[in-house]
Amino acid sequence: MSDQDTHVLSGPDSDDLLAAEYVLGLLDGPDWLAARDRALVDQAFAARVQDWEHRLAPLNAEFVELPAPDLLAAIEARIFPARPARRFGFGWGIAAGLALAASVFVAVALFAPQFSREPALQADLVDEAQTLTFQISYDRSAAALSVVATGPEPDEGQDYELWVIDETGVPRSLGVLTGAQTRLTAALEPGQTLAVSLEPAGGSPEPTPTGPVLAAAPLTDA
Amino acid sequence: MQDEITRSLLRITQKDRAALNVLYQHAAPKLMGLLMRMLGNKAEAEDALQEVFIRVWDRAAAFDPEKGNGLNWICAVARNLALDRLRSNRVRQVSQQVPVEDVHDLAATGPGPEAQSILRAEMEHVVRCFGELPEDRAAAVKGAYLMGLSYQDLAARYDVPLNTMRTWLRRALISLRECLDR
Repeated sequence: MSDQDTHVLSGPDSDDLLAAEYVLGLLDGPDWLAARDRALVDQAFAARVQDWEHRLAPLNAEFVELPAPDLLAAIEARIFPARPARRFGFGWGIAAGLALAASVFVAVALFAPQFSREPALQADLVDEAQTLTFQISYDRSAAALSVVATGPEPDEGQDYELWVIDETGVPRSLGVLTGAQTRLTAALEPGQTLAVSLEPAGGSPEPTPTGPVLAAAPLTDA
Repeated sequence: MQDEITRSLLRITQKDRAALNVLYQHAAPKLMGLLMRMLGNKAEAEDALQEVFIRVWDRAAAFDPEKGNGLNWICAVARNLALDRLRSNRVRQVSQQVPVEDVHDLAATGPGPEAQSILRAEMEHVVRCFGELPEDRAAAVKGAYLMGLSYQDLAARYDVPLNTMRTWLRRALISLRECLDR
């Protein structure tokens, strides 16, 4: 392998090239999934992804327009399932949205006990080198999260921090992981992605991860 | 001045349901073209089209008009969704049967009817930068972007080892970045 190859494959550019490879869709299998999860939780990497999306966006002109069937009704039925919103017609305001959100909240609160028999959720997070694992189990009725960590502990002055990424794509901290087992309380749903990043001791100083994302996996039925 | 797609996206961040209708009328044909090219199957493309609008509704808050126009943002959402489906092997990629030569004609196709003069200038810049690459590398990069071809697909298509394809394209991407940022 030439010096140039070595530079290309492992130089300081490697994160930026990974972002380009991810945007283009060159990656397969676990590499693709790992890059996708990283783009969700690692702000610096997400910014690189955005830069590449921007650079390559003019290629979108290559996609020709084709007749699209009118699927709007089906789409609306999926976005607004059985909501009374239709009665308001188009342009119903934020106030109605808030009222609806409030009523949904009340409904959830009232019927919360019925969720107690829902199956437990779990996720196994493994880092790239497969030396560090976080076995996560979640009891939905108690909103209790248990994280069992195996592998090397973080260096002095650093902590592992657990994050959840919901449908908005914004990571939210669930807490710092200490020792072999950490118990946390959180409201989680199946399908959300959990991720562990390496942060300064005590956790990220920002609302989002600042350190590298070590492992990520979706929360699924146990 | 903002275009109709960008405006309706900004209204969708306020959960304005009428804006979804406007967005669909303006963006669905482009997205249908994108999804057909990448997924190569009408039923799959139509199913993905619904999913794109649902994602757009959920994630519109992430759209920043300072960082690009609305059409490019939803194209990125649609490409990501198509890649998700291709990479999770839910879709047999019919589009892979299209010969790579098909993606040589970047300049010939030209911007779509919705493209404005700024977009045309950007396009010319991109064409020039792709023109600086060896022809097969340029086609491979475009094949990935437009058809969702992976390293593996491209290596098979060009009949070179996977690592060779990876090295070629990484060099091509470094040159492209250098040229596009100029």
